[in-house]
Amino acid sequence: MPVARLAFEGLSRRFDRLVVLDRVSGKVESGGLFAVRGPNGSGKSTLLRCLAGLLAPDRGRVVAVEDGRALANDERRRRVGLLAPDIAFYDELSVSENLELVARLRGLPPASGRAVAERLGLPAARPWRALSSGMRQRLRWAFAVLHRPRLLLLDEPFQNLDDDGERIARALLDEHLENGGLAVAASPVSLPLPRISGELRLDR
Amino acid sequence: MKRPLLWLLWGWMATVIVAAFHWAPLAEGFLGQSSRILFFHVPMAWVSFVAFMVAGVRSLAYLAGRRTERRDQAAAAAIEIGLLFALLATVTGAIWARIMWNSWWNWDPRQASIVVALLFYAAYLALRAAVADREARGRLCAAYATLGLVVAPFFYFVLPRLGFTLHPEAVINAQGKVEVEPRMLVVLLASSAGFTALFFWMHQLRTRLALREARLLEGSD
Amino acid sequence: MSSGWTAEAAAVFAKDWRAERRARHAVATLVLFAITTLVIASLALGPIGATPGERSDVASALLWILLLFAAAAGLPRVFVHEEESHTATVLRLAARPSAVFAGKLAWVASLLALLEAVATPLALALFDLPVASPGRLVLALGAGGAGLAAATTLLAAIVAQGRGATTLFAALAFPLLVPLAVLAVAATRAALGGGDAGGVLVQLFLYDSTIMVAGFLLFPVIWAP
Repeated sequence: MPVARLAFEGLSRRFDRLVVLDRVSGKVESGGLFAVRGPNGSGKSTLLRCLAGLLAPDRGRVVAVEDGRALANDERRRRVGLLAPDIAFYDELSVSENLELVARLRGLPPASGRAVAERLGLPAARPWRALSSGMRQRLRWAFAVLHRPRLLLLDEPFQNLDDDGERIARALLDEHLENGGLAVAASPVSLPLPRISGELRLDR
Repeated sequence: MKRPLLWLLWGWMATVIVAAFHWAPLAEGFLGQSSRILFFHVPMAWVSFVAFMVAGVRSLAYLAGRRTERRDQAAAAAIEIGLLFALLATVTGAIWARIMWNSWWNWDPRQASIVVALLFYAAYLALRAAVADREARGRLCAAYATLGLVVAPFFYFVLPRLGFTLHPEAVINAQGKVEVEPRMLVVLLASSAGFTALFFWMHQLRTRLALREARLLEGSD
Repeated sequence: MSSGWTAEAAAVFAKDWRAERRARHAVATLVLFAITTLVIASLALGPIGATPGERSDVASALLWILLLFAAAAGLPRVFVHEEESHTATVLRLAARPSAVFAGKLAWVASLLALLEAVATPLALALFDLPVASPGRLVLALGAGGAGLAAATTLLAAIVAQGRGATTLFAALAFPLLVPLAVLAVAATRAALGGGDAGGVLVQLFLYDSTIMVAGFLLFPVIWAP
């Protein structure tokens, strides 16, 4: 039996009169990666926000299972690791202070994020406001994996990363999948991704 | 509402109006015929309270149970109609105050508290207009109307009793005794029952209309 | 409510204070607003000509008007800024909603306490007022401040998700804060003048606990879908 499973059925979401998602379904299990492909504006981010529990779908449902136990909506929001372009951190706080805050909020030892931040080559003392876009993306990666989630949701995971950054991020993703985690990754181009076990194509 | 029931409601309300002016006696200590406004003023204030409570209950159901469009629209409709009745209660009160106190408005605790209630629920409509996304609007408005479930009783029953008031004793006074002439009480209760039924009829119509409007705006569903 | 929950709430609270120490948005604005208002009012009214009773009436009303307006001007920011800068997503993903509410409530309450600590002695000095019952005054300020903090935190969380948050905040806050202001002014006046305010204080505490309980129950559904 898989350690983790994520399934979504018939998800629909509209903003005012604009239908962004129309009855989409998919599923993925431990060790697998579910790829969401589509052009800009096709609803990839909306889908990931629904999966993370940040956005309620108009119709359809999301089932997340960890260790044979289905997660409630509120629980899922706290347990997933989400990486998304619109996640931002506190301007006034440094990289290490921001990660320390996240660790405390998650009930982990304050220094939990230090190792992954070093691995990602993040400048610990620099405030969020002074980070380049590539470094910001690296901090988003650190945020997403800090609590070792089983369910990793990646929206444009390698955006703005240089070669070095992409290599580290890909290594993090590989390790996550090897350790029995699952991932959903959204990207506009046909970016090469490891261990694709399922795919969804969205149109505008 | 079924047609015969509707006719019954019309007949009931017509009887109440006739009884209020020709059958019920005048209350002592009131100028001229002014006490007769009681038969309309009190039920209107009562119905506005009922409406706000209906909105609160539907909102609580929305938050705790299935988040259906119907519950959301029913809460909004109840607040719209509740505002209408609260406004009518305020206006009838001001007319009576002009006769008895010789001024339309003098910030009597009861006048002040109905204004606070009016503003509280008018703000609900402002909130509804300010949130574009249907899901977020439903959630935020329902939370606000649920808050109303605890604060509206305060606006209606506690706030008016803070401070000195010239307003006649509420029908059921602080000692919990009813001190009204029996015929007046009959008309008052009949009127309150009639207005309450009128509210539920209006509410049902408004909710249906709002649901259809929403469906039309969205396109076919 | 485990110790983990307390630590989460404390982390939110500490984060806000740390950011505030570096940026100084809120405290400077609130304190300057308080000082300016008090100085203008005392210049306009002047200590001469009015009896101490009249002055204490004016000062208690003025103090609460000032606190209310400072709250309306400065406090919606506690959630609006989180939403606008997208840091709210981090809080939504990492923390329990009730801990976010508790942390934010503590932060707002501490700001208001600070504001009261600056504005009250200043008002007493500028209006040349004796205090009949300092203990009662602290109680009135504490109970009024707690209610103000609970109501503004809850409403700020609501308006932060809508358009035109500041205007909307004023519309939502006014009806909820009027009863609070009436009670708080009465309690403050009694503390200054030496009247009996036991009943008013009890009503203030009832108001506070109602809004706080409602806040903890409603915040999770306000905060996230």
